[in-house]
Amino acid sequence: MSVFFKMNVSVAFLRPLARFLVPFTLSRKGRNLYSTILQRHMSSKITFVSYPDKESASPPKQLELDEWKTTMKSSVQEAAVSTVPSNKDEDVLAATRELIEMWRLLGKNVPEHITEEELKTIMECASKSSKIKYLNFLYIKEYRKRAKQNKKEMKAAAKAEAKKDNLLETTEEDKQKDFLFLRFWDQRENIAVDWKCAQAVQFGQPLVFDMAYDNYMKPRELHNTVTQLLESEGCNRRDVDPFHLYFCNLRKDSAYHIELVKRYKAKWDKLFITVTEKSYVDLFPKDNIIYLTADSPNIMTTFKHDKIYIIGSFVDKKMQPGISLAKAKRLNLATECLPLDKYLQWNSGNKNLTLDQMMRILLCLKNTGNWEEALKFVPNRKHSGFVDIFKHPPEFMNRLKKAKTFNSFPKGTLSRKTQIWHKKTDSLKSN
Amino acid sequence: MTFCLSSIRSFSKLWKSKLPCLGLGPGHFYLSLFLTDCGIRNQQRWFFLKMSPQNTKATNVLAAKVRFVKKGDEDRIMQNSSHPHLFAAGEAKKRSQMNAHSKDHTLLLKDNIQLPTKPLNSEEWDKFKEDYTGKGNFENWISSQMCCSNSSVDVAKSLLSWVAAKNNGIVDYNLLVRYLYLCVFHKQTSEVIDVYEIMKARYRSLEPGAYTLLIRGLIQSDRWREAFQLLEDFKKVMTPSVNNYDDCIQGALLHRDVNIAWNLYQELLSLKLTPRLETLKALFDFGKDIKDDHYSNKLLDILLYLRNNHLYPGESLALSIKTWFESIPGKQWKGQFTTIQTSGQCSACGNTIESIQLSPEEYDFLKEKIMRDVIDGGDQYRKTTPQELKRFVKFIKSCPPFDVVIDGLNVAKMFHKVRESQMLLDVVSLLAKQNLQLLVLGRKHMLKQCAQWRRHEMEKVQEQAHCFFADNISEDDPFLLYATLNSGNHCKFITNDLMRDHKACLLDAKTQHLFFKWQQGHQLAIRRVSPRSHITFQHSPCYDTIVQTTGDSWHIPYDEDLVERYSYEVPTKWLCLQRKV
Repeated sequence: MSVFFKMNVSVAFLRPLARFLVPFTLSRKGRNLYSTILQRHMSSKITFVSYPDKESASPPKQLELDEWKTTMKSSVQEAAVSTVPSNKDEDVLAATRELIEMWRLLGKNVPEHITEEELKTIMECASKSSKIKYLNFLYIKEYRKRAKQNKKEMKAAAKAEAKKDNLLETTEEDKQKDFLFLRFWDQRENIAVDWKCAQAVQFGQPLVFDMAYDNYMKPRELHNTVTQLLESEGCNRRDVDPFHLYFCNLRKDSAYHIELVKRYKAKWDKLFITVTEKSYVDLFPKDNIIYLTADSPNIMTTFKHDKIYIIGSFVDKKMQPGISLAKAKRLNLATECLPLDKYLQWNSGNKNLTLDQMMRILLCLKNTGNWEEALKFVPNRKHSGFVDIFKHPPEFMNRLKKAKTFNSFPKGTLSRKTQIWHKKTDSLKSN
Repeated sequence: MTFCLSSIRSFSKLWKSKLPCLGLGPGHFYLSLFLTDCGIRNQQRWFFLKMSPQNTKATNVLAAKVRFVKKGDEDRIMQNSSHPHLFAAGEAKKRSQMNAHSKDHTLLLKDNIQLPTKPLNSEEWDKFKEDYTGKGNFENWISSQMCCSNSSVDVAKSLLSWVAAKNNGIVDYNLLVRYLYLCVFHKQTSEVIDVYEIMKARYRSLEPGAYTLLIRGLIQSDRWREAFQLLEDFKKVMTPSVNNYDDCIQGALLHRDVNIAWNLYQELLSLKLTPRLETLKALFDFGKDIKDDHYSNKLLDILLYLRNNHLYPGESLALSIKTWFESIPGKQWKGQFTTIQTSGQCSACGNTIESIQLSPEEYDFLKEKIMRDVIDGGDQYRKTTPQELKRFVKFIKSCPPFDVVIDGLNVAKMFHKVRESQMLLDVVSLLAKQNLQLLVLGRKHMLKQCAQWRRHEMEKVQEQAHCFFADNISEDDPFLLYATLNSGNHCKFITNDLMRDHKACLLDAKTQHLFFKWQQGHQLAIRRVSPRSHITFQHSPCYDTIVQTTGDSWHIPYDEDLVERYSYEVPTKWLCLQRKV
């Protein structure tokens, strides 16, 4: 700070003489620093004049504008860290690390800490945008991890607090109580669920996940697929009447298999599902198989309990349409798609649903056979409500059918009409 | 108020078309709406909202409109309503310009804090910070606001010195970069050099944003050679962008170092980047003063590069090319801006422009590529089935070469009001009268008797033309392409489809260009204003729109500045250059 003051004073002192000094100081090397500062100051002053209200501000109150530059330049040694890179590969690695650090300083969404492995993945990214995307992904991951950590710590602190309080209380009154059960509920539930699944393996309706898509997917998509598989397996397990799940075409040591084993760990070998390298065509009669795909021209009307439904375990972020349909065509299988358009006013988004949503819908259909109940599992953001065709008065529907205008019928008006009708019925009921 | 009127017009159309099938209920509903709202401007917004459930397309349009209404104020809407409609060509551009315009002139921010127009001192900055109520860092926020509104350098400088005084003379990197942006924007070269010194001193390497700014700033100064060093540093972490090369090349030319400029240009091409037209313009502009064969050969290479990559210069570049040609001593080039007649002759010099027809090798190459990438695509089941493909190939072999191949479904569905089979029959009989060999491609469902497809009409079609019906779930366009290509160069196809999805199936740019050239020459689109009027075909050009030379002349198509061209369109304006012998 002493430098700061000194400079300020000297500049203030020199200011009246500035006009005369400039030509002289330019030739003198000793005064070089001062002269440049002066010049800068002069030049900035000239631009100030263009503001008419500037005259009122008195010069001594003016902040020294170039002061920070000298301090920034003088603090060189502390900032510069020199490491001698041994070979070119490491050099690039270090450069990338520095780049990410600079991006972080700039306030971009990049992670604070990065591992060697992630760094290598970044280097393998082909383009700048893919690098940025991956870094953004890591940033979000890091952020979530940190948030989770914080929450955990807070919870632990609260728990410790509660325990302390509890301890005080329990010492006061240590009552004996009578219980019917010991608290082993989770364990009991698991056993019951396993029992049900074992029954499903013996007598349940088969539901096949087709795992022959690993070469259409990138690692990220495959990861998502496995997550969805886990989720849908969990749903099935908890259901009243679970399916007998088949993972078909699952080759040993394929990317799927590795990922599944990684996620399930020891549980993998104890799951009540059938995992096979064989195709579903070899396991079941062809006539009974129905391949579910959104590209199918046939619309599913009812859930048939004697058929074997196949779901392709495939997350398609690249939007390659018709892959699963091509598969079914090749094997000459029947295909069906969910009647989404018939029951829902579709807004936006892909008609392809996630695996766990499919699973929930199928389970619901199997148990109740009610489409409206089942299609509640379609995400709300994708549609703006149900088309209530079944709640219409029959004569109205007949007139529609006669006119054959069902398809070209504006959906909005239909729903408004139905809403009005509902209101009427509701009011009648309440009356 | 045109959009109000037009929407009312379309609305009445909707009303008319929906009335018979709806019965009286909804009709009444809309009628009442119509009566209450017609001409009442204040309720427009509500009116649109009510209208919106009609169909999805209309919903999008209207939703966008409503959003726009919310965003701007009423005056702006009144201004805008003099244009035909929201999505007319060039409208988006105008809108963006309007927004940018308003941004430039408002220093008022959302919290009603006025950005300082003159340097503040510490106390004033402190006070300013106290007034700030937004979330996030004050320094970050104010500096980015200053960048947005391009405040003067001195204001930014006073901010930095205030920050530095608070923080032991240290200024954060992001503030420094934003300051650098302002310096570069206001072309304050000495400040740029100062910041450059600071960055060099403090940081071992920088990130692309700062490199770009430094290169752009330094290239104007006396230390322009250091910009190339920066470019080298940049390459260590990432591939420089086209703009970086543009800056460097322009800088090298500014300081009259031709070799560096050409080396950078070569480097840019070897990285498979497409140079900016500004770069090319700079090279041509510089060429005016240089009387050097080597240099002019390189400029001619640029023109060939434009030819090979199907690039079209802009208006200003075309002007530069013209002046460069005219400045070549001794050769007496003469340039004219002109158009090409439909016969393929240049209006200025009368020379014939290159034909659109592909050469036999190119033709065979394209045919094979279409077969392999579009129809087969690694999995024959995705677009068709092998059995169907075999059936089709056999069918094609059994027929004589066709003159016209018709996409039956596309033609039939041109008008909603005309029965589909009727429309197809019209087109087919019109063409059959000219004694042409026809092929109609369709799907099997067309043969089934229904409201839209009458059997006797389809039978008439089958009498007059060869027909091939694919499965209902197969795609018919690949068959269309293959049948046309297989029949030979004289064969044309009729569809209004732009075939962009099939073009995208072709993997490399060269084949895509070939396909586009072939498509331009062989596709006939139907022009029929209304169902009652005559059927006419949009003529396909007989010349190829591409940069071309005969040695003594150059013909260069270019884009006009005021016309927005889509990627599937070609320019209509040409630069004709002739040498007087």
